[in-house]
Amino acid sequence: MLDNQVIRTYLAIAGGVLLLAGTVIVILKFVLKKNAEHAWHSFRGWLVMIPLVVGAVLLGRTATIVFFGLIALAGFTEFARATGLYRDWLITGFVYLGIIAMTILTLVPPPDEAATLGWYGMFMALPVYVVAGILLMPILRDRTKGQLQLLALGIVGFIYIGWMFGHLAFLANGRNAAGAILFLLFSVPLCDVAAYTFGKFFGRHKMRPNISPNKTWQGAVGAFAVGMALPWIFRFSLAGFGTRELLLAGLIVGIGSQLGDLSISVIKRDIGIKDMGTLIEGHGGILDRIDSLIYVAPLFFHMTRFFVGLQ
Amino acid sequence: MDEWEYKPTADFDKTPIEKLSVFPRQPDMFVYAIRLAVHAVLRVWMRVYHRYHVRGREHLPHDQPFVMVANHASHLDALCLLSALPLGAIQRTYPAAAKDYFFTSMPKVAFSAIVVNAMPFDRKENPRASLDLCRELLATPSHALILFPEGTRSATGELAPFKPGIGFLTAGTNIPVVPCYLAGAYRAWPKGAWIPRPRKLELRIGAPMVFAEEPDAKRVAAALEAAVKSLQVDESSSRPGIPSTT
Repeated sequence: MLDNQVIRTYLAIAGGVLLLAGTVIVILKFVLKKNAEHAWHSFRGWLVMIPLVVGAVLLGRTATIVFFGLIALAGFTEFARATGLYRDWLITGFVYLGIIAMTILTLVPPPDEAATLGWYGMFMALPVYVVAGILLMPILRDRTKGQLQLLALGIVGFIYIGWMFGHLAFLANGRNAAGAILFLLFSVPLCDVAAYTFGKFFGRHKMRPNISPNKTWQGAVGAFAVGMALPWIFRFSLAGFGTRELLLAGLIVGIGSQLGDLSISVIKRDIGIKDMGTLIEGHGGILDRIDSLIYVAPLFFHMTRFFVGLQ
Repeated sequence: MDEWEYKPTADFDKTPIEKLSVFPRQPDMFVYAIRLAVHAVLRVWMRVYHRYHVRGREHLPHDQPFVMVANHASHLDALCLLSALPLGAIQRTYPAAAKDYFFTSMPKVAFSAIVVNAMPFDRKENPRASLDLCRELLATPSHALILFPEGTRSATGELAPFKPGIGFLTAGTNIPVVPCYLAGAYRAWPKGAWIPRPRKLELRIGAPMVFAEEPDAKRVAAALEAAVKSLQVDESSSRPGIPSTT
């Protein structure tokens, strides 16, 4: 199920990139005496994250699904804390249950087909039940004041941060689980890095000054170009992908990762905070790290399922 | 429609470790869950290892904030008092713990904050601000506070004179104060011993006292000291008693 050759290739790439980045930062910091503090902290964050993620994927399907389930819980917690939804323990707790249910549905087969991995139908229907449950909470307590805000936060929190991100975990049920997951986990951050780098060197025109003042059209175009190229570079891990699928994957990664980044920025700007949390050194919170992935994962999932088939 | 207002939790920009030292502690469901699990195990361990027994549980007030005061002879004390309460109350009960001892290093902070749910009491630099914090905690209906008015663990097991802090907190108020005496704790885990010994522990809970008519803090402290002292005497003569002091 998990193709070890693919994982080994990605391990080598990860090792190579970390080594290269580490060398560059060490030279900048200690030889050229440049101020590389930000890069250094961000690098140390990666040093923790990459082994965790690759370790989970190496351990197999169950570990991967549980790992992403925990990330979804932590991500939603950050969202709830930042928006203040966390004070409503009933809605917060119900969304927690929803995310746990989602993880279980990703693990168990449908009742009548014991050989299938993951209960796809119920996974897709889950938002109906969770939304219905969230709407029940103010009714149970006979409250109106401020309830629309809490309902909206709970629903966005579950559907966007829990369930849409949960598609990444569901990919672990695919024929080509490790390949698809590692492709996303590597290509999405690479797009972010490309946007940052191109913006730094060629950035002239601000893209969305209200939402994210540091993003430029030049950076976006650079990220798009890299995003279009990545599926071809990582083709070895995308079994069954033809030209059409590779093109679509490029579009999803190249555009989606920027939109994901901007979507979380909209939320952060509206709340008036800079980072969603502090869990990862040099990266802010979990949501600051997985913002692009949340947007890209479900689109990539359904494209793959439609054109290539999941299992 | 009113404009929506987002109020992030007070500790949301803190790292997980910093979060634990923020007080009043913000709600954290993971911490609640760990605390609940630890206390469930702790209660079994108390029963089995220390043959822990609580007398006078009916004296604990319901539906209003209260303060428990007790003698202090070991690190077991706060955990014993917490174990005498309903399991659901531990998330809302705060044992005051010395800030200069329990909130100095990461493992201690984690233990004090997660397991004990301790309130950092600054007995050295700013006891007045800490008493204000206590007052603030007691303003919430379901909250309870555990205080050891001796101010420190007894080195001999004897009851030391009560400091007036408890009086400043409760004199002239309607907050019930419940005097408690924990017998056997000194023999179970004296100051300086590494691990607790399997000695029997008994908590005797006295009738709650209210000091609405008593404005003098020192007299409140003295009254409570006398009340705790009176609980030292083991009333049940039918069972072999535990030596009350050493």
